[in-house]
Amino acid sequence: MAALLQVRNLRTSFLTSAGTVRAVDGVSWDVEEGETVALVGESGCGKSVSALSIMRLVAEPAGRIEGGEVLYKGRDLLKLTEEQMRGVRGREIGMVFQEPMTSLNPVLSIGRQLTEGLEIHMQMKPPQARTRAVELLGLVGIPDPERRLGQYPHHFSGGMRQRMMIAMALACNPSLILADEPTTALDVTIQAQILELMRDLSRRLGVAMLIITHNLGVVARYADRVNVMYAGRIIERASAAELYANPRHPYTLGLLRSVPRLDEPRRARLAPIEGQPPDLTRLPPGCAFSPRCAYRVERCSEAPKLEAAGTEQHLSACWESGKLHAALS
Amino acid sequence: MSEVLLRVENLVKHFTVGAGFLGRAAGLVRAVDDVSFEVRRGETVGLVGESGCGKTTTGRCILQLERPTSGRIVFEGVDLTTLDEQALRAVRRKVQVIFQDPYSSLNPRMTIGQILAEPIKVHRLITDKAKRAARVQELLAQVGLLPQHERRYPHQLSGGQRQRVGIARALAMEPSLIICDEPVSALDVSIQAQIINLLEDLQKRLGLTYLFIAHDLSVVRHISDRVVVMYLGKIAEIADRASLYEDPVHPYTRALLSAVPIPDPKLEAQRNRTVLGGEVPSPLNPPSGCVFHPRCPIAVARCATEIPALREIRPGHGGACHLA
Repeated sequence: MAALLQVRNLRTSFLTSAGTVRAVDGVSWDVEEGETVALVGESGCGKSVSALSIMRLVAEPAGRIEGGEVLYKGRDLLKLTEEQMRGVRGREIGMVFQEPMTSLNPVLSIGRQLTEGLEIHMQMKPPQARTRAVELLGLVGIPDPERRLGQYPHHFSGGMRQRMMIAMALACNPSLILADEPTTALDVTIQAQILELMRDLSRRLGVAMLIITHNLGVVARYADRVNVMYAGRIIERASAAELYANPRHPYTLGLLRSVPRLDEPRRARLAPIEGQPPDLTRLPPGCAFSPRCAYRVERCSEAPKLEAAGTEQHLSACWESGKLHAALS
Repeated sequence: MSEVLLRVENLVKHFTVGAGFLGRAAGLVRAVDDVSFEVRRGETVGLVGESGCGKTTTGRCILQLERPTSGRIVFEGVDLTTLDEQALRAVRRKVQVIFQDPYSSLNPRMTIGQILAEPIKVHRLITDKAKRAARVQELLAQVGLLPQHERRYPHQLSGGQRQRVGIARALAMEPSLIICDEPVSALDVSIQAQIINLLEDLQKRLGLTYLFIAHDLSVVRHISDRVVVMYLGKIAEIADRASLYEDPVHPYTRALLSAVPIPDPKLEAQRNRTVLGGEVPSPLNPPSGCVFHPRCPIAVARCATEIPALREIRPGHGGACHLA
């Protein structure tokens, strides 16, 4: 059976004063029914632009989807009309963003923001939509949902707003939710609540999730499979268990080693990735990570393909992934 | 043990919010509510907690950017709360700050060289122009920037490089204490470690003292000698790094540590998490008794009525919990 979402050779670029930036440069990945996939990387790696491209929300004219396919249940979303696309957004694919305050309408009541989508997408009558809205707020753990319907986003705390966003994303029974840094703006105790809630709901309702994050810890607990991005490309892909146990790309290894960890004895000194993040307007030829890479060889001036390294399900875009593996074991 | 450089004594900072009837204050935010701790010369004290816990306000009170409602800030033996503006200016040179977002704290119209030279000029540390230029170059080298960065503008640098400029500007004043307010939380993971290593190197080389304010418990453990955990304006726990992380006495500290995700799927799958229910209450209307009791997994009746004092649970390890 084909995957729920298949992204094929997606390319999105932006015109800037400094030149054309290839924010997403030919990436391919899948999300299967019911699974949780992560796109991980640092700012500017193209993870958020990937999500925006799937939903066709890239700001034109500066930004442009240059090519590729986004097959959702076999249908290429990039070929749909704007009208058809509106039936996908929020209906078939739900969205949760980092900053719920900017994604909620401040002058619409909580109830209205939930019922609007239900009335438009699901053709519900107002009383029916209201009943469903109460049910949704209960589902995401908002206490006293009846009373909450009449309140406005500013009455809600950050954690509550994110619960509300999740309720909105789930409203029309989507098969997939795109969550872009869903807990980055939240405090650590609230972050834990929201992540547990998302995992619980995705399992219970069988919704697939794409989590976009920079936090490797978040991914470890909640993702089945992980794609690591750097400078617009996927540089490593594996199951979460495999990726953390046997990283096959020097960038992934560097990320894992640079963060202090509470489960390990304190190290005298951290091991950072040296150098600066890539300047997308002036990428080096070949592997974009090579200027910062400790395993760099001459061949790195040629771009390595994302290929099986070790196991068939573990892909890495590095000429030296074999050597890296040997050095680690 | 080295001498005490900074002593915060019973610090209280209340903010009034909204104008009620006839301009009377409508509410009182107890941002910092009776906080006391010491920082010794050469050490790093971590100040950790979630948003609204008062950690940043505590830092701003030490810097005298906020005048405390009551309490004393004793720095090098002088109570800063008693000083006037002029006397403060001399002290301010010795207490510097590094902010979270270096971009908004650097003047976009000045070159890096000008940004670094200006405070040296204003404080008349070096009056000779050529010597000042040499000092700027020395500062750039100290924070790992290149000589040519002097002529660049802030927007031409990456986030990590801008934070290096923020650090160099603090160093320019030859401070004895640097308040680091979330200095790495806006930076990419791969750059955070570079900046933390730099801060540690500078501390060793220049004998600096840091008050490191952050919400990231892993980073705080790495960099701090001692740690203060705050919740809703009060100190929940205070101890040496090892003691605090290996054997926390306060249920809030335990919950915080348990909430931090660990980048290892196998460990994560086995971990039994304490996910705290509820949210941080508003400091406008803090709960009675122990401010943590509505969310506390082990609270008893007493916790709702009686405020727990911060007391020594083990030698050098303080906790504000009736049950510790």
